[in-house]
Amino acid sequence: MRVNDAVLGLALLLLAGTMIWLTTYFPSFPGQDYGPELFPRLLGGGLVLCGLLLVGRGLAARRRGEAWVELAPWWFRGGQALSFLSMPLAVVAYLLFAETLGFIPLAFALLLALFLWFGERPVRAVPVALVATLVVHWFFSGMMRVPLPRGLLNDIL
Amino acid sequence: MNEVSRRGLMAFGVAAGAAGLLARPALAQSRYPTRPITLLCPWGAGGGTDATARIIGALLEKDLGQPINVVNRTGGNGVVGHSAIATAQPDGYTIGIITVEIAMLHHAGLTNLTYKDYRPLALMNEDPPGVQVSASSPYKDIKELAEAIKAAPAGKMKASGTGQGGIWHLALIGWLQAMGLKPDHVRWVPSNGAAPAMQDLAAGGVDIVTCSVPEARAMLDAGRARSLAIMAPQRNPQFDTVPTLNEKLGISYSTGAWRGIAAPRGLPDEMAKTITAALERAYKAKEFTDFMNARGFGTVWADPDGFATFMGRSDAAMGEAMRAAGLARG
Amino acid sequence: MDPILTAFGLVFDPSVMLVILGAAVFGMFVGAMPGLTATMATALLVPVTFFMDPVPALGAIVTATAMAIFAGDIPAAMLRMPGTPASAAYADESYLMARKGQLDLNLGVNVVFSALGGIVGVFFLVLCAPSLAEMALNFSSFEYFWLACLGLTCAVFIGTGDPLKGFVSLLLGLAIVCIGIDPAAGVPRFTFDNVDLMSGVNFIAVMIGAFAVSELLRGAVDLHRQGHVIVPQVGNVFRGVGGVMRRYWLNFIRGSLMGTLIGALPGAGADIAAWVSYAMAKRFSRTPEKFGTGHVEGVVEAGASNNSAVAGAWIPALVFGIPGDSITAIVIGVLYMKGMNPGPTVFTENPQFIYAVFIIFILANIIMVPLGWAAIKSMKQVLRIPRTILLPLILLFCIVGAFAMTNSNYGIVLMLIFGVLGWFMEENGVPVAPMILGLVLGEMLEQNFMTSMIKSDGLWLAFFERPIAGALGALTLLIWLLMLGRGALTALRRPAQA
Repeated sequence: MRVNDAVLGLALLLLAGTMIWLTTYFPSFPGQDYGPELFPRLLGGGLVLCGLLLVGRGLAARRRGEAWVELAPWWFRGGQALSFLSMPLAVVAYLLFAETLGFIPLAFALLLALFLWFGERPVRAVPVALVATLVVHWFFSGMMRVPLPRGLLNDIL
Repeated sequence: MNEVSRRGLMAFGVAAGAAGLLARPALAQSRYPTRPITLLCPWGAGGGTDATARIIGALLEKDLGQPINVVNRTGGNGVVGHSAIATAQPDGYTIGIITVEIAMLHHAGLTNLTYKDYRPLALMNEDPPGVQVSASSPYKDIKELAEAIKAAPAGKMKASGTGQGGIWHLALIGWLQAMGLKPDHVRWVPSNGAAPAMQDLAAGGVDIVTCSVPEARAMLDAGRARSLAIMAPQRNPQFDTVPTLNEKLGISYSTGAWRGIAAPRGLPDEMAKTITAALERAYKAKEFTDFMNARGFGTVWADPDGFATFMGRSDAAMGEAMRAAGLARG
Repeated sequence: MDPILTAFGLVFDPSVMLVILGAAVFGMFVGAMPGLTATMATALLVPVTFFMDPVPALGAIVTATAMAIFAGDIPAAMLRMPGTPASAAYADESYLMARKGQLDLNLGVNVVFSALGGIVGVFFLVLCAPSLAEMALNFSSFEYFWLACLGLTCAVFIGTGDPLKGFVSLLLGLAIVCIGIDPAAGVPRFTFDNVDLMSGVNFIAVMIGAFAVSELLRGAVDLHRQGHVIVPQVGNVFRGVGGVMRRYWLNFIRGSLMGTLIGALPGAGADIAAWVSYAMAKRFSRTPEKFGTGHVEGVVEAGASNNSAVAGAWIPALVFGIPGDSITAIVIGVLYMKGMNPGPTVFTENPQFIYAVFIIFILANIIMVPLGWAAIKSMKQVLRIPRTILLPLILLFCIVGAFAMTNSNYGIVLMLIFGVLGWFMEENGVPVAPMILGLVLGEMLEQNFMTSMIKSDGLWLAFFERPIAGALGALTLLIWLLMLGRGALTALRRPAQA
């Protein structure tokens, strides 16, 4: 997804503006001329400058005929666009269901779904998903003691 | 398939190599606890709280026969970890190490949590602040330093040891007030912990560091700094040459950073009893005393009731100091 | 008995050797997993070391960390996924080399120069720990402020093509650091009363997102085209390394020295060392235009640098008990526990233990070569896995790794946001690396600026009053002036030529 520099610049201006506006609510530092608002304001100022330059460049490119937003052709091919979205969607699904389902069932299900979606045969997808889930769980949870969510298997593990 | 089995083999090799390193007792038991317990630590690896949590965790693990996983939930001056402990399921499988900051954070307006949001299990440690100066400093004892502070114009002298409004900052404020001075008579230079502050002291960046003596120890041993006094009722046996404020200045001001074990408020009595009993055994274990002595950390014990009263007093004292210094918000 | 001989006896004991070997494999694994850092490995070893003798206890930590810092290079080259933050600086360069078919050369260079850089670091640790520590001790917030400024100057050299967009990326990184509790006044900024945001933005979670997840997004689209596939090579990892050594020995020496020095400074570790060395390599290269296309020169310098920093960090830790990085912060605790109180006296009171640590350090860097070779061999099998299987597996590693950084879903949320943002930035020619550099240096810059202003009661002149600060400040300003002048010159010349 390529956007015109002017759009980028505008987004930066908005971001920097919000940042600077929010700093006006910061409490001041007792007995000190410079407080917690100093750095965000300096950075905001820098971003405003960059944003303006980008807007200028973008408008010039626009006059030469560049589109505001240019989507790569694969966005319009259903399969590829879905493949692209499958990655963030899998992460979102993990975030939503990790607590209730627990790591092992959820990681297995997500791996399996992604394998199958990418066109892997079930004969291979199922065992690989299972082994990978168990190995990751063993290493991170068992060895490195990362508190992966237990969920459904709370009482078994 | 081949790859997978090869990866499995590699993993097995690591397992074999590390099994000796990370042996876990896995005794099946029908009574609580029946599965691993998480011990949340609001501070990062490398600090004193993390080390204390890990030694307590290792001893509890031996005692209870279930793995104790120390999990660091860091950041936000301790807010993140303390919130995680308070809001965890009170099912006995999540406990945490809480620190003096819980008596300070709500005064600073950073959280609504107070010590009342926890079920106290045991107080294990308290460290009083010391007063450290650089080895090249002209002040040979605490009296000379106190005179110099009184004589200097407000804001001339600089002190450090932790962040703005942190425990060692409050210690400085308490001391200044006890001497009848304004809380900002000595200007506080916020630092990212005691070690960087001690380095800045040696580098000549600040005049005084009010962190605990064990935190200052390496620089003291290296002959780069001197500890002039501690703000405690009596001397620390590990550093028995350092006098108390009371001995030298007749000021009975004392405070300290403390660490204790607590659980979410709704923890059932039965489980609380089990853990407190295990903590008491850990506290009396030789390994614990050896470890704490080696680090120079002070050990104190208070049972749940004693710990609750202690936290109440700490909370009131911190609130008073923070309001006096204009650090209280909300 | 002579302490050095005693030390050899202590180290070359079968059980100690076994511990070292186990720790080496452990460190290698941890380093190769994105999200598992050398610091985590050390923290996990702490309870184990309670029950060990001093030499195996320290040996385990020394070996595991040295291995982890090298092993982080492997997934960086193969999957554009830095295994530890110390590999982030040249992850792109390594990945591009791999895509050019130079994976073997890249990994060979990484393992050899990591080991050599580590040995140079140990060399300085042995020979001049006290004097180097003395130097590091003279650094106060004024000096650190200038160092952070010099570090930010590196962004100019690591960004590619478009300076304006590189600058945007750097500013974004610095702005992101402002989220959380401000380092001077202790008030929350941009947290919207959210507890997680109070802890700030975890930069490793961001790094996993911006580097690895953004690459996964591209990979998922290309899956159907079979583009961008790294051809697994069965060649000899060490072929060509000798030639690289002859050609870039100066880079190796400069990288190792810089790494030791930066490592010895408390508050700057292997990750910053790698960034600075990579930028130095490009600045002084005869072919700077090749950087960012898969060029080995920067990899040599930065790869040697981050491993020498691991040893360098021990210098202030041993001499003054001041941690050089987060790993040595833990080590200092272990030293106390074992009765080896840090300080100048540690060299006189327990010399045999200190010599044993040095011997293990050298040993660890020597066995890094065969063990690293084995790790590369086995990791290369990963590339034979079909991408339909590999991409979801990497995603799972990213999720667990990001989770492990905060021990909560917050890390995963950050990873997702910065994954998509990183993808979008690269689509639009905004480089990601300067943003990561901003994240690394942001707090150091602000904290040291604010504390310096408090110390000097708001007087700017104080930034130049101390001798080292003055020299560093003058150097920084000179470099900035030169860069501005050169920029202006090229801007003037361009219309004349056109």
